[in-house]
Amino acid sequence: MIKFESVSFTHLGGTTVLSDVSLEIAPGELLAIVGANGAGKTTLAKHTNGLLKPTRGIVTVFDLDTRKASVAELSRHVGIVFQNADHQLFSETVEDEIVFGLRNLGFDDDVVKKRLEWALSFFELNRYRNVAPLLLSGGEKKRLCIACVLAWDPEAIILDEPTVGQDYAQKEKLEQMIRMLLTRGRSVIVVSHDIEFVWSLQPRVIVMAGGRILADGLADQIFTNTDLLEKANVRRPHLVELSELIDPKPEKPFHTVHDALHWIVHQLRR
Amino acid sequence: MYWISTGLIFRRVTSPFHELDPRVKLLVSIELFSLAIMADTVVEVSLLFASILSLAVLSRILRRLGRTVAFSAVFAGIIFVLNVIASRPLIESVVLASRFIAIVAATSGFFLTTSPDELEYVMRWFRLPRDIVFAFVTAVRFVPVMMMDALQIMDAQKSRGLELEKGNIFARIRKFVPILVPLVVSAVVRSGELAEAMESRAYGVTNKPTSLFELSLRSRDIFVIALSLLLFILSVLYFSA
Repeated sequence: MIKFESVSFTHLGGTTVLSDVSLEIAPGELLAIVGANGAGKTTLAKHTNGLLKPTRGIVTVFDLDTRKASVAELSRHVGIVFQNADHQLFSETVEDEIVFGLRNLGFDDDVVKKRLEWALSFFELNRYRNVAPLLLSGGEKKRLCIACVLAWDPEAIILDEPTVGQDYAQKEKLEQMIRMLLTRGRSVIVVSHDIEFVWSLQPRVIVMAGGRILADGLADQIFTNTDLLEKANVRRPHLVELSELIDPKPEKPFHTVHDALHWIVHQLRR
Repeated sequence: MYWISTGLIFRRVTSPFHELDPRVKLLVSIELFSLAIMADTVVEVSLLFASILSLAVLSRILRRLGRTVAFSAVFAGIIFVLNVIASRPLIESVVLASRFIAIVAATSGFFLTTSPDELEYVMRWFRLPRDIVFAFVTAVRFVPVMMMDALQIMDAQKSRGLELEKGNIFARIRKFVPILVPLVVSAVVRSGELAEAMESRAYGVTNKPTSLFELSLRSRDIFVIALSLLLFILSVLYFSA
């Protein structure tokens, strides 16, 4: 369980980037954080593993107070995959890159070997195990970064802008991976501007603006609230727009392109 | 780290000193720099710090200059200790360490009040080769970007369990490899992309590109030049007496 209690964060320069944020993320929960640039999404994420400590309020991560625990201690529970893959990769081989986190966190050799093999095969990186990470393609680098974090099997995973630079097939794979993590009881937090991707996941959604949480609810409730989205400067998903074009007050908007196609084909047949 | 980095970055502020011609700001900075090299008594160093402090207040950069000074104080401390070990008198060691801080403050005062654009105009005024001017100004422009990159890389690696503050000095140095490698790689990649973007925008097609802005001295600039030269000459006479 990750818990924010009236958390505020102000930079040393005096800029407040989080104001009175309260939030609970349960194990096995899928949460998406959306908002315009500078809304405080990444700042919120960095509080979960102690990279930033709250200037006011308390953040508790699996019963650890983030003000007292080290980043390494907290990272064992919460893994963050940052947006820019080139900012994370440095090793000579893919194998070394995956092992880096496991060694830092003090896992035994047996566990390291087992987790390495799992990560290589799950993320289809086996044939690259002796290749320099910097020579991989953009999509492969991103996959490797996720593999590096999932290798130590943290209870919660934060994906910061996971779809940037990813093609359609990679996005589908990413979605499958998120679903797999949820079935294993892991919490997944997606910080993203990619509203279509977030909509396809149908998660619990938090809308942020100016360092505050404007709304917290299910994707259906949040993305059909036009006033809220305008206030937060967030665009509506195309499928919601399509649903409202067909019926101004749809009972349930299309969740997937397949739903929409199914409805259109059904109408044509009639 | 973030706190120090913001002390090195130019920020547009409205102040009488910022409004001056960049060549005048450079002159003042060179004068302070020269005096810092010449100052060798406590009184002289104190006078120099009083001048730098007044200018920092006038330019509204006191807080950010303070950060640069705080950072340079670490190296000043090393200078002080080395001088004490070399059995120099205590006062002399303090003066030498203070001189170093004054040199850093005089130089960073110029960079904190002069935008990269103004820096480019000054260098062009000195008729330096265009490629050198471009390379230098781009390097200055990229300092804050590299700083932000370094911070992001540190966050990413700390999130993978890297503990920079643990271990002996050699272990700590080794721990900087996961930070330096991505930093250098991203700088190289960025410079390649910048070169391509510049070429795509016709950089280098002509040796004498036109300029929208030309430097020209106004009456207040001439007044500051005269006043600063007068004070500089008086200080030199006092320091050498």
